[in-house]
Amino acid sequence: MIGTSQRRCKTTWCSWAFVALAVAITLAASSSSAADYKAALLLPGSINDQSWNADGYAGLTKIKELGFETAYTENVDAADHVDAMRDYARRGFNIIIGHSGRFLTAEERVGAEFPNVQFITAAGSAGFGKNVSSIDFNNRHFACLIGYLAAKMSKTGKIGGVYGLEGLPTTIDHVGSFRICAKKARPNIQVTVLYISDMEDAASAKEAAFSLIAAGADVVAGQLNAAQTGLIQAAKEKNVFVTGRSYGQTAISPENVLTNIIEKWPEMYAAAAEDVKAGKLSGAFRVYGLDTPDATGAALGYLPDVPYNKAVPASVIAELDDVKQQIASGAIKIEPTREDARGGR
Amino acid sequence: MDSAVLDFLAATIRIATPLMLAAMGGIISERAGVFAVGLEGMMLAGAFGAAAGTFLTGSTAIGIASSIGCGALVGLTVAVVAVRFRADQMVTGLAANALVAGLTSFLLRGVIGHGRTPVIHTALLDPWPVPGLSAIPVIGSLLFQQPPLTYLAFTATVPLYWFLVNSHAGLLLRAAGENPAAAYSVGANPAKIRTVATIAGAAITGLGGAVLVLQQVGTFSDGMTGGRGFLALAAIIVGRWMPFGTMAACLVFGAAEAMHLWVQVLGLPVSSYIVQMLPYLLALAVLAAWGRSVVMPAAIGVAYGDPDRS
Repeated sequence: MIGTSQRRCKTTWCSWAFVALAVAITLAASSSSAADYKAALLLPGSINDQSWNADGYAGLTKIKELGFETAYTENVDAADHVDAMRDYARRGFNIIIGHSGRFLTAEERVGAEFPNVQFITAAGSAGFGKNVSSIDFNNRHFACLIGYLAAKMSKTGKIGGVYGLEGLPTTIDHVGSFRICAKKARPNIQVTVLYISDMEDAASAKEAAFSLIAAGADVVAGQLNAAQTGLIQAAKEKNVFVTGRSYGQTAISPENVLTNIIEKWPEMYAAAAEDVKAGKLSGAFRVYGLDTPDATGAALGYLPDVPYNKAVPASVIAELDDVKQQIASGAIKIEPTREDARGGR
Repeated sequence: MDSAVLDFLAATIRIATPLMLAAMGGIISERAGVFAVGLEGMMLAGAFGAAAGTFLTGSTAIGIASSIGCGALVGLTVAVVAVRFRADQMVTGLAANALVAGLTSFLLRGVIGHGRTPVIHTALLDPWPVPGLSAIPVIGSLLFQQPPLTYLAFTATVPLYWFLVNSHAGLLLRAAGENPAAAYSVGANPAKIRTVATIAGAAITGLGGAVLVLQQVGTFSDGMTGGRGFLALAAIIVGRWMPFGTMAACLVFGAAEAMHLWVQVLGLPVSSYIVQMLPYLLALAVLAAWGRSVVMPAAIGVAYGDPDRS
């Protein structure tokens, strides 16, 4: 009896040792073949959304072209933010990017534990310490242009927007600027903003757009993830104008999409990655916009090289160019408040 | 009728349709004695099936068939684990939800995207106007110019009610959920009934997912059901496990969801977070008020093995 159990123990011990050996060999093999620099991307949704998450993945692809080994995790729930980051940091990644302002709290926490790793929050709103930074395109600038365009294109005098994450600093910037500039374009325009709870739920975004359209809106804007498709579908069915977030959304309904905010995450991520390669860590919050001409962070685009739908008159395009210049020169300053970003009218 | 009211009712019907199909499937399963906690997963599988089937073949008919098949497959899994092997039904249902969430994401990338995350678009089902009836002012456009699965969701309640209440097979199904030993004593096989009911219910629930893809958004995204399966589950309880009551509950939930949008459209000074809670708050309130007085199938959740087998 005793002999058997001892033999069993030894067998177990042996198999564990074998497993450990196998793991060690795998680790050694993988670390010897690894690139010098590694970057990881955590995404709140899935990279096929033709929207926010697709932009982030394009950014990671750009980092890969710079010689980094890259990895990514999709659909990271809030409860897993910290663990996912720690995991990548322990595995020797030099850059860990959370592709949403939602990751900022976790980055601040984990960043303090791994001072040699560069943490980046996309669309964050602050930097911490020496290695936790935020980068973003200037939501104010581009949402302003969309608001201006939407107001100019409306025949009914009513426009709407569907957004998520009410109250987040970037959301206030985006939605507030949309409303402020729509009013700048047409003081008597009626702007209705709807907040929905799930940036990935296309069916509920579509319903939100339908209710805006039913209330008279003939231009619908928005800044959602997978749910953005719902806005485009609603505009297509009811034949109103809409703005999107990728050229792919133009393809869904070329007649109805006025333009898209094309975010240049590849450009912004590449700049951050180059810094890390040069040995520079950052704890700053960097915003790219019309006033940073070397890298504007985003641009309006209907198709590559075509900024607007042909339905947009030349006079409106000229006005938009003028607004752009005034934003770039600082002649127009947009400072949205919580009130400007309120839900409803 | 005011056009705003019409728009509101139309939104209510659109939001309620996927819930109704999911809930009808859930009734069949719960009446037979198997908790329908896996509705969310069955619905998501149905959505995936509809998107993949339509995308790969170009035929919405095959897409619909595939949504039924994918839903049924999840039902089969639940039935094998919970009925044949008598595992805890709550845990099995939750595990099925997690399994489907991961599996659909994986299959989307692995099978359709060949390793990448693909973007897929499907055509939407056109409305089928009912000849004659669709010309009725007001009601015609609201009720008789709907896409096919919406008609199915509304009309399915009638045969389901008849089946449960008046048919012999329905009586045996309810017996399997109320008192399986009694059902066994009259020669029925409760384990078999539960298995068939779970699979059939899951197939119908899968159609609820097809509504989201083929009538609403025309694409598949990860976790796109967004908790609708759980709302359908609540509707079953509120509707007292009967088709018409459950249909009414789904419509009330749909109305609450539509209301959340309209409160914002009308610019009432309430935080969107508060308004977004409304449908769920309503469900909780109804459950708290009625939940206890409702008689749920007596043997639901209680494993009943096949005495001949064990």
